[in-house]
Amino acid sequence: MADGWCTDTGESVYLTLPESSDAEELVVGWQEKFFSQYEVDLYQTESNCQTPLERQYHTEIMAMERSKRRQNQRIFTYTDFDRFSKWEEVTQSTPTFLAERMANVRHRRQERQSVVPKSRLITWEPSEEFIKNSHIINTPVQTMHIMGDLGPSGKLGLKENEYILCTIKADGNGVITIKPDFNNNRGAYRLETQGEKREVWRLYLENASSDIHAEEKEREQRMYRDLYTRHKDYLNSLVGQDFEMPPPGILRLIVNGEIVSAQGYEYDNLYVHFFLDLPNNWSSVPFHGLSGVTQTCRTSSEDVAFFSYPFSFETFFHKEDESDGSLPQWPVLYFKVLSLDFWQRYRTEGYGFLVIPSTPGYHRMTCRTWRPLQSGTVAELRRFFIGGAPELEDISYVRVPGTFKGKRLSRFGFRTQTTGSVTFTLNCIQHARAFIDASTLKKRRQTVLDQLGGHSQQGSVYNVLEAFQRARNRMQEARETLPRDLINTSAQLNSESSA
Amino acid sequence: MAELHIIGQIIGATGFPQKSLFCKWGVHAGGAWRLLSGLKEGQTQVDIPQTGDMAYWSHPIDLHYTTKGLQGWPKLHLQVWHQDSFGRCQLYGYGYIHVPSSPGQHRLQCVTWRPLGSWQDQLAEMFVGGGPQLRSSDLIYSGADRYRLHTVGMGTVELELCVILRHFDRYGVES
Repeated sequence: MADGWCTDTGESVYLTLPESSDAEELVVGWQEKFFSQYEVDLYQTESNCQTPLERQYHTEIMAMERSKRRQNQRIFTYTDFDRFSKWEEVTQSTPTFLAERMANVRHRRQERQSVVPKSRLITWEPSEEFIKNSHIINTPVQTMHIMGDLGPSGKLGLKENEYILCTIKADGNGVITIKPDFNNNRGAYRLETQGEKREVWRLYLENASSDIHAEEKEREQRMYRDLYTRHKDYLNSLVGQDFEMPPPGILRLIVNGEIVSAQGYEYDNLYVHFFLDLPNNWSSVPFHGLSGVTQTCRTSSEDVAFFSYPFSFETFFHKEDESDGSLPQWPVLYFKVLSLDFWQRYRTEGYGFLVIPSTPGYHRMTCRTWRPLQSGTVAELRRFFIGGAPELEDISYVRVPGTFKGKRLSRFGFRTQTTGSVTFTLNCIQHARAFIDASTLKKRRQTVLDQLGGHSQQGSVYNVLEAFQRARNRMQEARETLPRDLINTSAQLNSESSA
Repeated sequence: MAELHIIGQIIGATGFPQKSLFCKWGVHAGGAWRLLSGLKEGQTQVDIPQTGDMAYWSHPIDLHYTTKGLQGWPKLHLQVWHQDSFGRCQLYGYGYIHVPSSPGQHRLQCVTWRPLGSWQDQLAEMFVGGGPQLRSSDLIYSGADRYRLHTVGMGTVELELCVILRHFDRYGVES
């Protein structure tokens, strides 16, 4: 015992025990119960056993004693069924209520998949027990403690000398928690005993399980990959390959929109009457309306009338005349706002127009409106009392009249009054075959450049490619203009050389 | 075929005269569209805001459509209802909005309106509650016969929708 004394810079002096017959080896299964000396002594007497578990221990211990088969001396286990809680603080004599409940959390069993019944989501009158149990979140966890009795040999069986060597927790999702963690060559854990002889024990935890075989891992990966590809194929089969395409050379414009609201008008009970005007080169599907009337809406606070009126147009653009290099004109939505009151009086409230935007996407636009005025008070009085007002004969006068052919449009002498505004939201989609080629060309060019990499190279290689293309075209043109006999003789030469 | 993902939420409603509101919603698309996964209609919970005006639902929308053509782009229709302290439900508004066609995140406001009856109906409504409802809600899908209706504007429903398009560019669709 005297050999092995060593001192270090610290205050304590420690002693290493030589290898003695105190070595113990034990193989512990999951939730396998091994009794400590203390437990053996305790449960041997029948009067100490109160719960059925303790009585079962008693029978086991008696059987063990009879057969004189004792596997473990110092190492024993506490399984999930034992009431064991680790007191972290030595200063506290009794644990708090919460600490106790937390330690006993694992004793509550829950169903595998606790399905919440749809009919009773809320417990309106929880009982006391329910309240207490629901304070703490518990996932079903099975715990096991591997303990060591670290008392001096010969004086085993004292409760004070029990120390936790390792705690293993496993929950229903397959997560295994081991505390303390494996050493992994980081140095041993130190356990200091608190008894008369303060001893220091070194604790090593090693992961001794064998790794998964490479082929098994490979098989697992392959299985996952198969699963994913099969799911993808299934989805693809649902989706299919065809898509409705417009005829070549035609641009299809689809506008999905709503008339949202109208605001700032003089009278109440407004409605909007609108239509879409298609310029030249535009056509639409027959029997599909390009106009509409909304419902009559009374304004709420702040003079806003909500329509939330959906419309959907589909038009086609076909460039008939290629030589005409002007930009295409886009369709225009003309609308007028009218009011209808209780006495069935109609009044025009405003005229406006909206050009369909040429960029696809989501647009929210507010258009202001005006209404024509006639000079003199008679018209206004009539409008006030009877209803009716001067209306535009041709609503396209709002923008550029359809009959206009000159260079300068003059509206001199036309009197109007500004009225409120109407809000539209539009979703524009453009669809054409030409877009396919453009996008794939862009992608193809991008990949070539990405492969080559670098901006300086990008410019030069692209130039080279272009130059080659041009040279090739020139050669082809030149070849066409060559006299026939030259080409024939060269062909003959080629055939002779190959033959 | 091309695919469309609509992922978002119905955030809540604001601007309604009373506070205890819930919303019935549905997504409606044309014949060329097929729903691969997700629920295309539902009903939110009743929300009573304690402070402020906005009733929050945060109701999730997660849909996966596939389509053979561009007609019949999906539209979202909403009905906002009010539940009072006696448990009676009263219609507070119909709303309608197209699902945006450009990819990305969109914050949308859908305005709602409610049909009005004659002045006698309105007087009774003030005391007893209730009010006319559309017999068939098809009227809010298409606008065809709407001009017969006499309505009043109600509040606004706020939505946040993220739109993801797939393979549309392969078929030459710009959006």
